[in-house]
Amino acid sequence: MGNPDLLTYILLAPIAAFLATLVIPGKNETAIKAANAVFAGVALVLSIIVFTQYDMAKGGYQLVTDIPWIDSIGIRYTVAVDGVGVVLVLLNAIVFFTGVLTMWTLKLRVKEYFAFMALLVFGVFGVFISLDVFVFFFFYEVAVLPMYPLIAIWGSTKKEYSAMKLTLYLMVGSALLFPGLIALFVGGGSSSWNIEFLAVALKNQPELQVFVYPFIYVGFGILAGMWPFHGWSPTGHVAAPTAVSMLHAGVLMKLGAFGILRIAIGILPHGAEVWAPLFAVTATVGIVYGAFVAMRQNDFKYVIGFSSVSHMGIVLLGLNTLSPDGTAGAVFQMFAHGIMTALFFSAVGFIYDQTHDRDIRNFGGLSKQVPIAAGFFIVAALCGMGVPGFASFWAEFLVFLQALATWPVLGVAAIVGLVFTALYALRVLGKAMFGPANPQWDHLKDATPWAMVPRVILIGVLILFGFFPSWILDLIHTTVGSN
Amino acid sequence: MSHANLAVATLLAPLIAFAVALIGFRKKHDIAAAIAILGGFVSLVGSIWLLLDPAPTAELVTAPWFQVGGFKLEFGALLDGRTLLMGAVVGLITFCILIYSLGYMKDDPGKGRFFAFLGLFEWSMLSFAYAPNLLQGFIFWELVGLASFLLIGFWYHKPSAVAAAKKAFIMTRIGDVGMFVGLILLFGDVHTLDILEIGSIFGAPGLPEGLSAGRVELLAGLLFLGVMGKSAQFPLHTWLPDAMEGPTPVSALLHSATMVAAGVFLFARFHELFMDAHGLMTLVLAIAVFTAILSSTMAMVANDMKKILAFSSISQLGFMIMGLAAGSLFAGLFHLMTHALFKALLFMTAGAYIHHYGTNDIVAIGRAGGRKMRVTTLGLFAGGFALAGVPIFAGFWSKEVILGALHHDGYMVFLVGAYIAAFMTAYYTFRMIFLVVLPNANSDAIVEEPAGAQHGDHGHAHHGPDKAPLPMRLPIGLLSIGAVIAGLPFFGDAVAGLLGRPEEAHHAEISEMILPVAIVLAGVALAWLDFGAKRAPQRGLVAWFPPLERTLKNRWYIDAFYRRTVIRLTNAFAGLMYGAETRGFDGAGDAIAHGTMKVGVGTAKSHTGRLPIFIGTAVAILAIVSLSVALF
Repeated sequence: MGNPDLLTYILLAPIAAFLATLVIPGKNETAIKAANAVFAGVALVLSIIVFTQYDMAKGGYQLVTDIPWIDSIGIRYTVAVDGVGVVLVLLNAIVFFTGVLTMWTLKLRVKEYFAFMALLVFGVFGVFISLDVFVFFFFYEVAVLPMYPLIAIWGSTKKEYSAMKLTLYLMVGSALLFPGLIALFVGGGSSSWNIEFLAVALKNQPELQVFVYPFIYVGFGILAGMWPFHGWSPTGHVAAPTAVSMLHAGVLMKLGAFGILRIAIGILPHGAEVWAPLFAVTATVGIVYGAFVAMRQNDFKYVIGFSSVSHMGIVLLGLNTLSPDGTAGAVFQMFAHGIMTALFFSAVGFIYDQTHDRDIRNFGGLSKQVPIAAGFFIVAALCGMGVPGFASFWAEFLVFLQALATWPVLGVAAIVGLVFTALYALRVLGKAMFGPANPQWDHLKDATPWAMVPRVILIGVLILFGFFPSWILDLIHTTVGSN
Repeated sequence: MSHANLAVATLLAPLIAFAVALIGFRKKHDIAAAIAILGGFVSLVGSIWLLLDPAPTAELVTAPWFQVGGFKLEFGALLDGRTLLMGAVVGLITFCILIYSLGYMKDDPGKGRFFAFLGLFEWSMLSFAYAPNLLQGFIFWELVGLASFLLIGFWYHKPSAVAAAKKAFIMTRIGDVGMFVGLILLFGDVHTLDILEIGSIFGAPGLPEGLSAGRVELLAGLLFLGVMGKSAQFPLHTWLPDAMEGPTPVSALLHSATMVAAGVFLFARFHELFMDAHGLMTLVLAIAVFTAILSSTMAMVANDMKKILAFSSISQLGFMIMGLAAGSLFAGLFHLMTHALFKALLFMTAGAYIHHYGTNDIVAIGRAGGRKMRVTTLGLFAGGFALAGVPIFAGFWSKEVILGALHHDGYMVFLVGAYIAAFMTAYYTFRMIFLVVLPNANSDAIVEEPAGAQHGDHGHAHHGPDKAPLPMRLPIGLLSIGAVIAGLPFFGDAVAGLLGRPEEAHHAEISEMILPVAIVLAGVALAWLDFGAKRAPQRGLVAWFPPLERTLKNRWYIDAFYRRTVIRLTNAFAGLMYGAETRGFDGAGDAIAHGTMKVGVGTAKSHTGRLPIFIGTAVAILAIVSLSVALF
């Protein structure tokens, strides 16, 4: 297939946006936004090209670029995509593009904001395409660190506290990860960080696998919102500005799950088998727990935050089935949940921008006052409930299908969780979107065609892959195999 | 036209109508309505054509959709007796309701959205009915639930409507969870979700290979949970009366005639599988009989016409399930068909009264002169007689088949139960009819909601001539004919033949009919004494026992029981989790952070900059280290 430099171009697009943002004078806000939109658009187009060009018959890693970086300790810039990577690169590009459009109304320190955001996106792209564990970790940190200023400066609701909390939690994760990754390197003979190489090199070291696995799983799991280390995520979601919430819940949490899939399970399959029962339990607890806590929240964003804990539990449960179908469902759920939460936050952001209020008790009948904006939220909620016709239905379906085969009790518990998901989602809809209108918000303006663009893109993606899930699943299956 | 083209047109027309009407013409009400009616018309013609021109064997019209994991999913239509019958019922009733809604929703500010949602409903329901595999069935089963949610909560400014929509969605979803698990386990066991294949696997004599009797009972039980949710069987029945918060056309279409029948249809679709679960079928019969009696008692005291009809729907669904569980596919589906006709009709008449008089209260409607609306009242007679099971009318014949199917050894107790329910059905139906057409301003009847009470909401009392608008009278007239003739043995034989079960078309001897007819007449007579006769108190039998009347009015306190137990427990558990989150997991993180800070602040205090303390500390540490090295 196409030019192997394509991936590097995708990686460079946010860097170009970053540089352009630095060069353009801060007063010229529209130019900054336009430049970001253009480069995000370029990244999106390139991602779509990669998505459509990936050779499914051949499978495996494609578009490989391999350049030595720090050769003395075996670190190489090795990038490539497989079926999973393709899907997640596309996810990141969609969220980046729609995120830039959503933040079109930003007024405060526009220049710095977009610079940090581009940096974050750069890191995320890097993670999804890295085949070198060290480079993977490098990009991982690049993606995580901009979160602190993005929340602390542009956030709301206890923003310093939330930013600090998020950073500390993720630092703990990195502290677990780093020794774990070094152990992989050393265990593999200290010559290469290549993921495929390490997988072969560590094949016959079961004790090492079992010992190292939990470090790496929990290290990445913290970023994936793994129960009981999820505390940073709802607080962070709530405090972050709209587009950062979109990226954060939409993409950043997927880095954790991707790390688990690519590195923890990919390199340490034996360790995964030993630890899977425990981590499948924590994942299931997360599903049910997140739904119950979400039932008690009154802040839109907290509800979504805990729904993310619940939905990421589905991803982790799918991964812990260690089976092709479960993994495919998990990856699809990463994609679907990414788009869905982006839509959620985007819809809430639209309302918050005008009202500076997010307490669902203060709203009612938004469907009457701002039918289109409310419609976006309702669609996201339906998707979250796993209603057929949206992408997440298939993702959840596959995970449950496999979970029921692998861990029957956990599978039933997770499926029963669907009822509680519906409870908290319908509670929010009933209180805020339906019911008698609160006259305080009669003056709200509904979404303009321009404001509809990013949201309609997200809805379109959800429905498209809700009706044609095989366009994504076939890709994923080339990597994870099939039952 | 080839069957394939017809099936495709039938399935897709409502979807296109839905999408175009919702996206393009939500605000242009009349265009949206026209589009939806056009879509409904295509489906009507298609489904009826397919019904009248059945192929000798089952046909499959499918297109490969995609492959998910081990599933090869095909989207399309399976054309056999069961689906053709169900599809035609859905196509016909939906079209009648679309026309009816032109009158009922004429001035509603959300008219465009309403017609679009009806399109969504019809598409989902038809795709469910024609589904060639259980996965497609499940997808559209869920979408039917979604359409129902949107339509019950259509007047979303009313908190009661929003609560009812939520309740319906949650309660049916509880059943769906069981069905979902059942679907997955079934796939694991027989490696297919193809409906015809499953039918032949379980249709063969004896149990399928490799499946124990217990396993089959489990599978059937899980699937039956879905039936219980959708078809409102005890204990998951409480959502249906609340669902009457939706506009009346919605109640007529979804919550009596078609959507709630989806559960029964699922049962019929997997009849072969259910028939292999003997133990479960006895339990199902018990549930169905109990549900039929329970809901009939509640209908005896209700004044709200829609609620009476809702209770009667629950009980008639119980009758259908009785027929199926007793082993007769024909009995269940034939009653489904006749019930769809006469229940949709009854709801339409209710809507016509409500629309005109602005109240749901049958006493108030009667006293305001309900019988002056002639077409509507004729419709009430036709539908009411059919529901009560008066001979010749549609419901009589189909109920007769069900009772015939219960004439088995060992089913005696269920048969008696069914007779009791049939007796009460006749009683409460004629109570409704008498109160509407024979009002007596001096009787003891209590008006709970005076005429015009809904002024300003939907049922704005209309002034002018005492008749419903033409678009409402037309379908009432049409379905009245259906309610009279649809049960005749000619139709019964045709349906039984279509289903491939001609032997089940039970032609009862006159002597066998004496008991059921006598029971119905007894119910009517009692209703006459209580409500019809000149000096009747119009308070009914139940009012002699005030505590019982209170209990029935409160629906046996089942809702209250759920509120006190299940709902309270769920909320308490959510509170517990919330506490665990804020004080436990999250609190622990904060505590560690604060602890670290305190340690930092504490050690910082020792950094006083005084040399003697530094040196002293250094010496002390050195001494301890060297000592321990020396000692060990």
